[in-house]
Amino acid sequence: MVDPRTASLWGYRALFLGLAALIIFMGLLPLSALPSAWPLPDAVLGYFPDWLYPYDWPGFDLLLVLTLVWVLRRPDFVPLLLVALVFLVDDLLSFRPPGLWTAIVLLGTEFLRARESSTRALPFWSEWVMVAMVVGAMSLSYRLILALFMVPQVALGAQLLYVLTTVAAYPVVASVTHYGLGLYRAAPGEVDPWGQRL
Amino acid sequence: MARDRNSDVDYRGPVRRVLLAVLVLIFGFLFLIWRIDSPRVERFRNAFIDRVVPPMDWAMAPVTKLAGMISGFQSYARIYEQNQELRRELQQMKAWKEAAVQLEQQNAKLLAQNQVRLDPKLTSVSGVVMADSGSPFRQSVLLNVGARDGIVDGWATMDGLGLVGRISGVGQNTARVLLLTDASSRIPVTIQPSGQKAMLVGDNSAAPPLEFIETPETVAPDDRVISSGDGGVFPAGILVGTVVKTRDNRFRVRLAADYDRLDFVRVLRSHPSEQINEAGALIPPPAPPQPGFTYQLEPGIGGSGGGDG
Repeated sequence: MVDPRTASLWGYRALFLGLAALIIFMGLLPLSALPSAWPLPDAVLGYFPDWLYPYDWPGFDLLLVLTLVWVLRRPDFVPLLLVALVFLVDDLLSFRPPGLWTAIVLLGTEFLRARESSTRALPFWSEWVMVAMVVGAMSLSYRLILALFMVPQVALGAQLLYVLTTVAAYPVVASVTHYGLGLYRAAPGEVDPWGQRL
Repeated sequence: MARDRNSDVDYRGPVRRVLLAVLVLIFGFLFLIWRIDSPRVERFRNAFIDRVVPPMDWAMAPVTKLAGMISGFQSYARIYEQNQELRRELQQMKAWKEAAVQLEQQNAKLLAQNQVRLDPKLTSVSGVVMADSGSPFRQSVLLNVGARDGIVDGWATMDGLGLVGRISGVGQNTARVLLLTDASSRIPVTIQPSGQKAMLVGDNSAAPPLEFIETPETVAPDDRVISSGDGGVFPAGILVGTVVKTRDNRFRVRLAADYDRLDFVRVLRSHPSEQINEAGALIPPPAPPQPGFTYQLEPGIGGSGGGDG
């Protein structure tokens, strides 16, 4: 007989894997090969600086945001190996240099995981700032390592935009996770339905 | 319970740290191998995609169709304007059609006079776009034709009208097309009618810029851009798009291929241009037969042949 707590743990892990697979799958859909334009009217775009010129919208990294949100909600549900598996597959499928982004994501999530229980009492905005700094550091180190190995990479503007939108998406994904899936940040010393500390 | 938890923590922390270190090392090593010996890792990646993506086709097809229907439905809202627009365009097209028919006749006449043969080497394989690159920073699509169909790295692909990109990565059943918009795409082009040579450099935007134009004064908006065939990788003369001038006075190319709806793509079989690898060798006069060596049939063979006859 499977212990209900174990069943729920593995259920949520499977759910994470399913969500990640869905995100990767949606990214692969051949809807349009064009880089998408900014979701803004032309009148607003007219005031944009020239260095941003072609106004292409990189979108945000939903997979990364989802992982960070889950790591800071229930670190047990996104174990190290699962994160490694998901991001390695994403690396391979989306033609990134294989391994590098996965390694950086592992380091970033482990950094947050280690601070999950000690930052429970802090308000949401401080969690958000922490995540923003981690995402910024991850992107920066990714860019630096690629530059060090002389791998061609995208323009700085696009990458900055990508970091900004990813950070901006964090509260949205966090609230969807909270109200949709019932995963919220545990209060200090909170226990789960089986009496174990979270 | 609490004791349980504590005993967990005792071994979990160090094990986790070791696991993290090992994984980061492995992935760093993978990246290093990729950087050193890219073709091998890319072959592995292609084989992986070859296994993973085609089985997803049954799920992708309906979702893609549904999204297409939704966007089609949205365009119903503007059906009146579109109708007007199409009528106007049709009028213009009729004029163009007249011109085209006349030009075609003239062209046929001239070709007959010159006995010109169009390049017989350009045949094509058609493929269907299966999947997108899955990343906002990589502009590529996956086709459902691969090494099985004789696809080779480097071949040009086009849709009905214009150049789409170049094959970069071939699996058994799939091939990846690096689009002209990708940041690592570089294509030598010619701008007509001025005949200027330039490079079309992808930068992840919908309209890639033209670089290395020698005399930009001779280039005007709406000039045609065609592939130049320099470098021997691409066939020459395939339409790429038209020139547009941006606000910062650079030239970009509005691509002729319909990137918004890439369904069917033609892969042009291009045969490698002949390569001359060796310097001219000395051509000596034919060597005289060496003295003392006479060639004669072995008696056994000759004898058996005679006996059979």
